[in-house]
Amino acid sequence: MDLENQKRVLELSEKHGKENVVVVLGASEAESAGLAAETVTAGDPTYAGPLAGVSLGLGVYHIFELKDEVDADVYDEQCGMMEMVLDIDAIGAEVKSIRDQYSKF
Amino acid sequence: MIKVVHYINQFYGGIGGEEKADIKPEIRKGTVGPGMALKGALGEDAQIVATVICGDSYFNENLEEATSEILEMVKEYEPDLFIAGPAFNAGRYGVACGSICKAVKDSLNIPVISGMYPENPGAEMFKKDLHIIETANAATGMRQAIPAMAKLSLKLVKGEEIGPPSDEGYIPRGIRKNIFREERGSKRAVNILVAKLKGEEFETEYAMPDFDRVEPNPAIVDLKNAKIALVTSGGIVPKGNPDRIEASSASKYGKYDIEGVTDLTAETYETAHGGYDPVYANEDADRVLPVDVMRDLEKEGIIGGLHRYFYTTVGNGTSVANSKKFASTFTKELVSDGVQAVILTST
Repeated sequence: MDLENQKRVLELSEKHGKENVVVVLGASEAESAGLAAETVTAGDPTYAGPLAGVSLGLGVYHIFELKDEVDADVYDEQCGMMEMVLDIDAIGAEVKSIRDQYSKF
Repeated sequence: MIKVVHYINQFYGGIGGEEKADIKPEIRKGTVGPGMALKGALGEDAQIVATVICGDSYFNENLEEATSEILEMVKEYEPDLFIAGPAFNAGRYGVACGSICKAVKDSLNIPVISGMYPENPGAEMFKKDLHIIETANAATGMRQAIPAMAKLSLKLVKGEEIGPPSDEGYIPRGIRKNIFREERGSKRAVNILVAKLKGEEFETEYAMPDFDRVEPNPAIVDLKNAKIALVTSGGIVPKGNPDRIEASSASKYGKYDIEGVTDLTAETYETAHGGYDPVYANEDADRVLPVDVMRDLEKEGIIGGLHRYFYTTVGNGTSVANSKKFASTFTKELVSDGVQAVILTST
């Protein structure tokens, strides 16, 4: 996750409280989704950004996991195409595994 | 307690990306960025007392100045161990890690270690001077790189025996070590051959160096009008070897005029090469540098013409670096002389 986004996540979680922040990812591969999920829960695995050594433990989901929470028309318009071409099972499994290990909320 | 100083660039120091790559070196107490992970991996016996942060551009553009500045900073902490990176595939960062590690090793005489992707130019430049743990090409490999670097660096600082690259995870340094084996060489060689024939895994005992491959250029379409040059690493020189090209590990090449020469004879040409039986080349140097056949092709109109000069050196034990240097010089001449193709003969 790039340094700017790490900074934003850190600031938002300080402002609103970690229990009130959920991160929704849109990454197109399992590996990058997992790295982003790890960054906002256990801390930046690359130790380069503001979240290096900071374990926020935020709730984190990929948008594909939230299909049932979103208006069907909006989901179809925004995610329908990508849902067809990406490996949504692998992405979902990776994010869930990180969430189960490190999310505290 | 083992005192460690860690070196990172401006990015891992949290200062910024490319726009901050020109920052001068600074030293901070304790850990910064990847040092946090390193601290955990090093355990209780070691402590990162300070972290040097330097911009990649600054370091590479001010190599000597930056090295001596950083060396002074490191000295103050009297470390027992120096760790740089990991740099993954970041080229300037890799070169900085390698340079500073070598400088610290040479001047403070303490163990040093870095981590890089094998294709990082810093790895090629410094793998012989220091242990460089092989890493992934991007920072996503931090989780694997850090424990491997910590483990090997503790071994180095404790003076423990360091195993081969495949066991310890560092990039091969080109060092050969004599060891005793139960089975004699011929038997081991046959075992390897049998494993290879069966398609089984085997490990060579004599790894070949990596040579880059040169993609062939497109074929000459109009050979009738092409000017062709002869170049050889077979050591053919005018009799007496006027430029004293060495019989092995040549440090130079020769350029000789063959205008009007239709045949190389025992009276006029010979080989300077010390790596093969020279009798047949000395009897008739056309056997290595085929001027006679080229003249025939010229006469028959198959080629446009033979270039007026031939270039020659001795390939025997001559380093790849020297060969590249020779070729990059004379290739420019060949191109500006309008040569379209070269026939390169060896021994």
